Amino acid sequence: MSLDVTTQTTTAAPRIPVGRTRGIGVIMLAIGLFTALVFGVGSGFGAHSSLTFNPVSLTNAPWHVGTLTLLTAWSNIVLGVAIVALGLDVVARLPRRGVMARFGVVAVLFFVALLLWAARTTGPSQINFVNLTAILIGSSALAMVLIFGSLSGVMCERAGVVNIAIEGQFIGGAFVGSMVASTTHSFIYAAIVGALIGGALGLVLAFLSLRYLSDQIIVGVVLVTMLGSLSSYLNLQVFTPFPQYNTGNLAPNLPIPLLYKIPVIGPVFFDQTGFFYLMLILVGLVSFALFKTRWGLRVRAVGEHPQAAASVGIKVIGVRYANVIMGGAIAGIGGVAFMASQGQFQPGYTSGLGYIALAALIFGRWRPSGAVVASVLFGLSVYLADNLQTYQVPVPTEILGMFPYVITIAVVSGLIGRVRPPAADGLPYRRD
Amino acid sequence: MRLELRGITKRFGTFTANHHIDLTVEPGQIHCLLGENGAGKSTLMNVIFGLLQPDEGEMLIDGVPTRFSNSGEAVRRGIGMVHQHFMLVPVFSVTENVVLGFEPTKSFDRLDHQRAREEIRSVSQAYNLEVDPDAIVEELPVGLQQRVEILKALSHDAELLILDEPTAVLTPQEIDALMAIMRSLAESGKSILFISHKLKEVKAISDVITVIRQGEVVGTAQATDSEAQLASMMVGRDVTLTVDKAVVAPGEEVLAINDLVVRDDRGLPAVNGVSLSVRAGEIVALAGVQGNGQTELVEAIAGMRPVESGTISVRGVDITNHTPRQVLDAGVAHVPEDRQLHGLVLSMSVADNLVLNTPRRAPFARRGSRNLAAVAANAEQLVTRFDIRTTSTQAPVSSLSGGNQQKVIVARELSRPLSLFVASQPTRGLDVGSIEYVHRQIVNQRDEGIGVLIVSSELDEVLALGDRIAVMHAGQISGVVDPSTSRETIGLLMTGAHAEPTDA
Repeated sequence: MSLDVTTQTTTAAPRIPVGRTRGIGVIMLAIGLFTALVFGVGSGFGAHSSLTFNPVSLTNAPWHVGTLTLLTAWSNIVLGVAIVALGLDVVARLPRRGVMARFGVVAVLFFVALLLWAARTTGPSQINFVNLTAILIGSSALAMVLIFGSLSGVMCERAGVVNIAIEGQFIGGAFVGSMVASTTHSFIYAAIVGALIGGALGLVLAFLSLRYLSDQIIVGVVLVTMLGSLSSYLNLQVFTPFPQYNTGNLAPNLPIPLLYKIPVIGPVFFDQTGFFYLMLILVGLVSFALFKTRWGLRVRAVGEHPQAAASVGIKVIGVRYANVIMGGAIAGIGGVAFMASQGQFQPGYTSGLGYIALAALIFGRWRPSGAVVASVLFGLSVYLADNLQTYQVPVPTEILGMFPYVITIAVVSGLIGRVRPPAADGLPYRRD
Repeated sequence: MRLELRGITKRFGTFTANHHIDLTVEPGQIHCLLGENGAGKSTLMNVIFGLLQPDEGEMLIDGVPTRFSNSGEAVRRGIGMVHQHFMLVPVFSVTENVVLGFEPTKSFDRLDHQRAREEIRSVSQAYNLEVDPDAIVEELPVGLQQRVEILKALSHDAELLILDEPTAVLTPQEIDALMAIMRSLAESGKSILFISHKLKEVKAISDVITVIRQGEVVGTAQATDSEAQLASMMVGRDVTLTVDKAVVAPGEEVLAINDLVVRDDRGLPAVNGVSLSVRAGEIVALAGVQGNGQTELVEAIAGMRPVESGTISVRGVDITNHTPRQVLDAGVAHVPEDRQLHGLVLSMSVADNLVLNTPRRAPFARRGSRNLAAVAANAEQLVTRFDIRTTSTQAPVSSLSGGNQQKVIVARELSRPLSLFVASQPTRGLDVGSIEYVHRQIVNQRDEGIGVLIVSSELDEVLALGDRIAVMHAGQISGVVDPSTSRETIGLLMTGAHAEPTDA
């Protein structure tokens, strides 16, 4: 892809090469066959799987739903056939759009089949069952953090600055968040201080990359490394001798009356913490501001062609500073939200979530809505990787943990669909 | 608008880019600023447009002294600029590009697309500049993209329009259309400042011509002056504009390309079934608008891009999908399109760059270690022979001017026995003096019996050099014609119309 406007082709719009679309269709076919044969036929026709839908914590007592018992083999054969059908559709019609969306659907169906397979029992007992609602709630907490992170990425990269320091902003936010929440018992104060820390880290990134034109990737990695070490050190020096500054601080759920009682959906969407609702508001707000407002048009112009923006009087550097600081603040709040879902700060416990958020940003094509879909998918895969061993699955669950990265490599290499970052993303801008 | 510059001086460190420039553009006038690359034209435009601030002198707009601290102020004061590299966001629509920086809004900072579209429609109707306001800019042909740039300037109520080398990327038909637009704008009272180093266009369109050389105004000229007069003013000495070529009977075929298919970076076929032959002692000039597969074709010949199907052979030896090293060894010299990216290692010295293609060969290396004395001797000899202006052969090649950088590449490529000489845009960005020199070298090679393939988007160059002219459009050869063919016919071939081949 050329950055030089004048050397671009005179006519045809960029298109996805047919061969790659066909390739991903074939991969979908393979996944479908694998699902039908291994998870379906392979689980034996006598086995059945049970799904429950009631949240584990019954404090809010929503309406109950009975247990659903399915014949594992046939259910998974159906799921496998559905995936094969999607794959065949892609291979046969080679659609120009929506290939990535189809792949997302395939991934979800595959996860469901995996769960049914993992929870199958051959006898009449119901010791093994899958609590679908619990899984969705658990992965929604991870997805929420990923969405904060990828929204931060959207803010920065749409203005042309790569923010690889999201992980560092998570760590910073989680650390000060725990401290503030422990001392003030207010998650609002914690979120504000987390935003300030994230914004300050954003300012450092912006200052070094905009003022001194340092390589944004290197500055970002340096920030992550620094925050990782600094937080371990401060944890040892502050939190270990004074544990009262890092006490249990689970953010309380704020159920929305009536709505939270809806089976499955209610506990997942309407019985959540304030951070979750804030995240939903931010997604809408960023999406609206970026694509509907004058501000958004200017931000995107700065990220695509800063010289063009400057030639009509837009202050490129100013826009970039503002966006990187705002993006940092969003990631800082994400760090607080993560801390509040875990209860306290622990060194290293963000374990690369910031990078997965970056992957979600790419898979979501630098759009807030896309980032949400990608974060949900990645949150689910990370959650399953961490929790599937309870079912004594005979495969290492770490394989699932690779999912976001494998997907990102597939997307960036152009195997699935075509992604196109903002044209000036990561490039230094000189006023001359 | 009446723009008057009085004694404008702009320095960069010790280098004076503009020295006491006086210039007046009257309302309704098409004023051409003619000068070679590096003469200071772009610096002066950036001063007028507020991107640079002058060190001395003043600028008067309608008699009022004015200073701009950024280009936004210049735009607000009625100065519009059409940049050589368009200032358009490729992924935005025409409307979004035109309103950027001056957006009409509704409540909550929302863009008012309705009003924006209407504004654009009224401006494009007023000046007869048809363009679909909802089209995505990158999907438009270059000529239309330029029209969007003009539309953008006009919708900001520009009274003075600066056009910086506007014809560089256009087809002959698009150039005609642009000139018609410029004339009608001038008739409606707009002032136009047109920057160019192409004499034909300058003569065709200008009311007044100001010539600048080495940062100073050397005089004004009339459109009725001859091209030779303009050229000698611009360069400071007499130059020959035509290339003297003796008639040479071509010999055996040195390059044979057969049904070649090559994909571009996006995996799409950029060269789609090209067959072409070049004979010894013949210059084949490949014409066409940039981006029609010429780049990929040359890269395939040079071994820099894989060939999907078809064959390339040099003197009967198949070199399809050979490595660049093997292609060089087959006697092919290659002057790449992007000299700074593919032709030179900018941070290395002139001497090292002059042996880049033969660094491991005697006498430049022996038993795996370099013979620096031989490298230095070679450099001294080539610098003298090719008149490369450099402070030292050990100076980094990045310190040389564009023309001298190109001479380094040409000197290197011609300093060994060859069968085929391939040059892509050999004179792009060079001044008239250097162009003359490079052209003479190319013709000399032909006269010595080497096959030459030139790729150029400059029609003048193609017509001056080619013994045969092949025109490329959309990955295919749309015609192979004689150099006596009219410019109009070649222009049509460049847009894809097919012609009866005059030569098999």
